[in-house]
Amino acid sequence: MFRLQGSKTLAVDLTGDAVKAKNGSMVAYDGQMTFKKMSGGGEGIRGMVTRRLTGEQMTMMEVKGQGTCYFADRASEINLVSLHGDKLYVEASNLLATDAGLRTGTTFTGLRGGTSGNGLFTTTVEGTGQAAIMSDGSAVVLRVTRQYPLVVDPGAYIAHQGSLQQHFQSGVNFRTLMGEGSGESFQIRFEGDGLVYVQPSERNTVGGDV
Amino acid sequence: MSTPVIHDPTTLPSDDNVNAYTFCVELKGSQWFLQKGKMIAYYGQIDFNGIGHGRFDRLIRTSFHSPLHASDWVVAEGSGKMLLADRAFDVNSFDLENGNLTIRSGNLLAYQPTLALKQSIVPGFLTLIGTGKFVAASNGPVVFMEPPLRVDPQALVGWADCPSPCHHYDHGYMTGVLGGLRSLTGMGGTSGEEHQFEFVGAGTVLLQSTEVLMPEQATGATPHEPGVPGGSAGAGQPGSAPRMPGQLGDLQRRFGL
Repeated sequence: MFRLQGSKTLAVDLTGDAVKAKNGSMVAYDGQMTFKKMSGGGEGIRGMVTRRLTGEQMTMMEVKGQGTCYFADRASEINLVSLHGDKLYVEASNLLATDAGLRTGTTFTGLRGGTSGNGLFTTTVEGTGQAAIMSDGSAVVLRVTRQYPLVVDPGAYIAHQGSLQQHFQSGVNFRTLMGEGSGESFQIRFEGDGLVYVQPSERNTVGGDV
Repeated sequence: MSTPVIHDPTTLPSDDNVNAYTFCVELKGSQWFLQKGKMIAYYGQIDFNGIGHGRFDRLIRTSFHSPLHASDWVVAEGSGKMLLADRAFDVNSFDLENGNLTIRSGNLLAYQPTLALKQSIVPGFLTLIGTGKFVAASNGPVVFMEPPLRVDPQALVGWADCPSPCHHYDHGYMTGVLGGLRSLTGMGGTSGEEHQFEFVGAGTVLLQSTEVLMPEQATGATPHEPGVPGGSAGAGQPGSAPRMPGQLGDLQRRFGL
């Protein structure tokens, strides 16, 4: 059972069940807990190899026991996500914890990944349960529907869920080359049905200044 | 479990804060000036164009008077809702009604073209004149104070109306070589508060609640003319010996101003 203790600490109540969490993110617990590093994030040999190859590194631990365990990471804001059989796409560095029942994996993101400063691959979380993702400043959750597509700055994107198609759009023209770029030349456009999480801060991206 | 608020174009506020760090601007065929790279997401049809765009000639003539800044600003135009944020700093909007406000250049995020942006005579600051809304970032919430008061240089965000800003040095700091040396090296103990900005006159002073400066945004050089503060041509009197850094009497350099 995930709940927020303040906006920067995640409290998980455990009754003999388990959660997966970012390695070393436990800050306190009461009750009885065991912490076990999960080799390859519990994705098996194939998952381990994929992560190694794609550079989408993620070290997770399994926390099991009775009581309440508190997680936090570098005072990042934490956002809870409920999954009901759908898929959450999140950068490995922004994933704090998931229910043990959720499957994690790696997927290719295409050009979008290249511009968001996080590599060409991203982490997926699938199944039914809860996950906690981190952002620099409290994240804004934006709904995308058929009528309302959404355009996001790659540096501010952290995660999305639902059935969304993403298109990479670039506004590079001759003015950009003349040094009169708009600073917003690279954008990701989301269409379909789902939710997009953005943070109020931009990572340094390849196209950030163009 | 506390479910996060999910926003869509109908629930997003119009020209107001979404949360402490994010501001939503609604465009209805209108235009906004914004600092490059501060848009994080938008719904609808919005174009972003560098200021040098010929189409904006008239707009820029009336509301943008800082030619040397031009490369840091873009014009957003179209219809839809746009989210602005800056490195997870607090953002706030302010309304000016036929007024003026001077702000540290790195803190200003966006403004309506009904305001005119000009470079302040004080280097590193910008002045907005007119009626309209602007969005500013600060490290921690903004505090409003009435002059007369003295403020820490790092905490100053800006000032509205016309208080007179000047430097204030504690007297003990100025006396003798030892006093200067002490504050230069920190030997013998300094409080770090010997130098303040002093405001007198009618108006409002805006302070941020930390002393962590927002990274300075280049404001462009002022014209190189004698008599223009910050313009390098007037800085060194002809014939005077070159100053050593940290030389006594070269106060503004010592404070990195």
